[in-house]
Order: sequence, then C-alpha cells, then structure tokens
Amino acid sequence: MKGIKPITRKELHHILRDPKSLIIIFMMPVFMVFIYGYAISFDLNNINIGIVDNSGSDLSAKLVGKFLNNKYFTLVGPQINEDRSIEAYERRLKSGEIDEIMIIPHDFSKKIKNRIPVDIGFVIDGSDSNTANIIYQYNEMILFSFIGEFQNIEDILQIKTKIYFNPELKSTYFFIPGIIAVLLLMVSALLTSLSISREKETGSIDLIFISPIKSYEIIIGKTIAYIFVAFAVESIILLLARFWFGIPIEGNLIVLFAFSLIYIFTGLSLGIVISIAAPDQKTSMLGTLLITILPSIMLSGFIFPITSLGEVLRWTSNIIPATYFLKIIRSVVLKGASISDFLVDGLILTLMSIVLIFIAVKKFSKLRKIAG
Amino acid sequence: MSNNIIEIKNLVKKFGRFTAVNSISFGIREGEILGFLGPNGAGKTTTIKMIMGLINITEGEIIVDGMDIVTHRKKIKDKLGYMSQKFSLYPKLNARENVEFFAGISGLSRDKVNNKIAELKEIIHPDIIEKSVENLPPGIKQKVALFASLIPDPEILLLDEPTSGVDPKMRRNFWQDIYELKKIGKTILVTTHNIDEVEYADRIVILHRGNIIVEGEPANLVREYDVDSVETLFKEAVKKNERD
Repeated sequence: MKGIKPITRKELHHILRDPKSLIIIFMMPVFMVFIYGYAISFDLNNINIGIVDNSGSDLSAKLVGKFLNNKYFTLVGPQINEDRSIEAYERRLKSGEIDEIMIIPHDFSKKIKNRIPVDIGFVIDGSDSNTANIIYQYNEMILFSFIGEFQNIEDILQIKTKIYFNPELKSTYFFIPGIIAVLLLMVSALLTSLSISREKETGSIDLIFISPIKSYEIIIGKTIAYIFVAFAVESIILLLARFWFGIPIEGNLIVLFAFSLIYIFTGLSLGIVISIAAPDQKTSMLGTLLITILPSIMLSGFIFPITSLGEVLRWTSNIIPATYFLKIIRSVVLKGASISDFLVDGLILTLMSIVLIFIAVKKFSKLRKIAG
Repeated sequence: MSNNIIEIKNLVKKFGRFTAVNSISFGIREGEILGFLGPNGAGKTTTIKMIMGLINITEGEIIVDGMDIVTHRKKIKDKLGYMSQKFSLYPKLNARENVEFFAGISGLSRDKVNNKIAELKEIIHPDIIEKSVENLPPGIKQKVALFASLIPDPEILLLDEPTSGVDPKMRRNFWQDIYELKKIGKTILVTTHNIDEVEYADRIVILHRGNIIVEGEPANLVREYDVDSVETLFKEAVKKNERD
C-alpha cells in the first residue's frame, strides 16, 4: 500500500505540469457544457417561411400575421401574393433559402364563414428530419392559437402537410450526408497533416528543404496525391449510402464530385497548416481530429440547425468549411439541386480553399526558412 | 587568406534561454574530411543545420565559398549535400523510387534520373533495389542515403552521424566510400560520436556543450596533448570541460 502515494503524487505532478493536456482536459468539458447548455438548443427560432396567400382576405391576413408575429417564423422570398406560382417557392425550398411553404387556398375565407372544411397546405423541407418535425409541431401550435380566436372552427380548419426530399423523415437521410461532410474533412486533413509531420520527424523534410524545389510545388504535389485518396474514400462512403442505407441520390454526381474536390482541397490545406504548427505526429493528429471533427459536428448544421445556435456560434459556423459542404451535399443528394441552388455556398467554399492553400504555402515557406 | 570553403565565425545558436552553440569559430578547407566530434547534445546537428540554412543563426557568421548564409541561402544550398543520422529515406519506397524522388526534386532531367538509377544498380544488388527501404539492413540504407545526398552533385557533403546504427564492417566500407569522394574533390564534414572513426579524418573539431574544446589534425593532437589516442584525448577534454 505504500506504493500508492508516490504513484498518485507523480501522476498529479505530471498532469498538472502539462499545460497542453490540461487545456484539453479542462477546457473541452467547459466548452461542451457551454455549447449544449447555452448556445445550442433544439428550439428553432428562425424558421424561414414562404407564404402563398391565394385568398388575400382579411381572415387570411390574420392567419399570416399569427405566423409572422412571433419569434419562430421569418418571411422569406417574394412578398405574399406577389408571385403565386408555387414553383418559385419550391426552388427556394430546394436551395435551402426557406424551410417551409404555407399555402392558403383562394376560398379560405369563404369556406370558413360558411363552415365548410378547408385545408391549409404546408410543404416542409424534410432533408433535416429533426427540424422538419419541429416545424410541423410549430405549425400545429400556431394554427391552434388561430383557431382559439374563433368559435367552433376546430373541425373546419385542417392541416395538410407534404414533406419534400425525405417524405418518411428518415434520420439516416439526414445523418449520412452529414457524416460524409465530417469524415471527408477529417480524412483529408489527416492525410496531409500526418504526411508532413512524419517528414518532420524522420528528417526527410530537411532534404526537401535544401533541394531547389519550390515550396508551392511541395504543397501542390502532396495535395494532388491525396486528392485521389480522399476521392476514393468519398466514393466508398457514397456507395455505402446508396446501396447499404438506400439513400436516393437525386442530383448530379458530377456536380457533387466537383464540389467535393474543392472541399477535399480545403481539408488538405487545413491539414498542412495544422502539421506545420504541430511539433510532432501525435500532436498533429490530435489537433487535426479536434479541429475537424468537433466544429463540423456541432456547428455546421450537421446535428443542430444553425438557426438554433447562439449568436457567437452562428457566426462561427460561417468559418467552418463543413457548413457549406453540408448544404451542398444535402441539396444534391436529397433534393436533386443543381449548381445554381448553392452557388453562394460553392463560391464561399472555393474562396476558403484558396485562402487556406495560400496560408499553407506561406507557412510552409516560413518553416523552410527557419526550421527550428 | 585561408582556402577555407566554409568559414564559421563566432557562431551562436540559442533556443529560448538554452545556448546550443556558444560562439564557435572554425573553418573547413576545400577538399578535406573534417571530423566533427562530440557527445549527444554537443551542438553538432544544430551547427550543420545552420550551415544548411535550415535554422536561423542567433549571432555570428557562416560563409560558404565566399557567400554569407544569411544573404545567399539559396545559392549555398545548391553547393551542399546532406545526409542525416536517420538516413531520411522514405521507408515504404524502394531504393530506386527513393533515388527517383530525390533526383526529381533536385530538378534532374529524365535522362539524368535514369543514369542515376543505372549508377545505383552498380552499387546495390539488383535484387535489393526493388525492396522497400524499411526492409533493408542499415548498411544498405546508409549506402542509398549517401547516394541520394550526392544526387545534386554537391561540392560539400554534410554527413550527420552517417555511421550510427551500422556494424563495424559496413562502417569501414562507408569510410572507403568517403575517401573516394575526397579523391574526386568533395569537401566533407562528418559528425560522429564514434571516436574510433576520427583516424579517417584529416582534421577534427571536438564540440562539447556548444563549445569547441579541441581542434587539429589527429596525429598532431595526440602528440601535442601527449596521449596514447584521440579517444583518450576526447575523454580527458570532455572531463576537463565538464569541470570548468
């Protein structure tokens, strides 16, 4: 029993004098508690809704008012009645600009007055099955409150909901494209970060450094090699998604692969930046896993809708590459969206990859000049 | 003026508060083999890396073939070949692929790369050339690494502990190769902590805790310090420096 004390003391000294481990051990739980307890909630505050009010009556305006005069719904798209073609709204639904469409029939007011049953139509984007469920409940809640203001219309007003893109609200449809986004970034970043930190450890990087080869040639050369590997990984996951999990791939695969290329490039560049900063392979690997997995899962909209994040985290989600790729992959795979539906996301992702590869080359040249 | 191809003056390297190299000055003459000796942590690798421009110098000067490392880093790199103690080959590649890689990054044309591979085949058995380097014995790895460091045809070779982990027979073979290189006019700086190897060097510099404690020709030094061997001289010099 005498042996316990020295072991305990040594372990305590060891852990308390290792600031890097301490940061991970103490900061991570604090960070997570804050994210879950404060910044993330399953309540949706910002459901973007498109409204087609074919009735244009006082009564329909009242119903619209019920939806818009609360913190949950925000009107997006053409003003009510401006464009009644449902296709325009469906395009917005496809591009993710709106989460649902409410359609009020032209005879809404008349039917209510005459106590004839009338349908209020809702089209909900089902690609995020969780959010779709919550939106469905909010619709019900607001309609109930609308009904409450009149007498005996409970039986007349009926909700008719259509779920687009994932009619059965299967959570695998929601999770699989999301996990592809997370894994692809992680794998790409790991590939380069391990490659460079390994060369740093074995010293082979010194030989490259004294050779006449240009720094950008090293970076681009490494990147091209690993693009093939990451592509192979992506193909395997997509095949699994399609044939094992039965997820329909509605959109164009070439478009998906084109944007994957940009996304992979972003991951590879990120890996290089991390490995340059990390002193050894272990730190490089831990750092890469931490930087790629955690934010991609928590803050990209993979699990929690971005609209339900607190302000700071919502802002943070804008600098996470997975945020953009997730939109793209969900749009292409589940909604069959085309490039024009996510042009902005694609452009931001492209810009990110260019900035990151630029930083990677700069940092690498700097490392080359003052290795040590 | 001396015919030193490398001139090191008052060279200092500090890592934070730790002084790895403490104001050392020495020269390397053109075409000689200089043995750079010292126990682990003496500052040998740090000095070599400063000569290659891989680490910034804290103070002092390194002049290679009349050029200052601070201002002519790129031109100096073209004159240097380097082999590290870890051999720095890619373990999953075979010897031929390693040579192709280093030839490629040195900017050699396809024809020249092929010539290099033909040369490699003369020094390494054809059966071994296609084996992953990780499965090769240290002696062969060492040969391949030396070959790779010579690919850009450098005037000066910096060999950092090239004989570590290699058996005595292979070490002797290696030194024969070094002699051949000296014969064709290469200047060679070899670091080692195997004192028995100093007999091969034209001159030696002994480094301890960042300071030069002995410098000169092995035979002269033995006479001057009145000791039976360089090994004894080394041990006594290190001991004396530790006391001081």
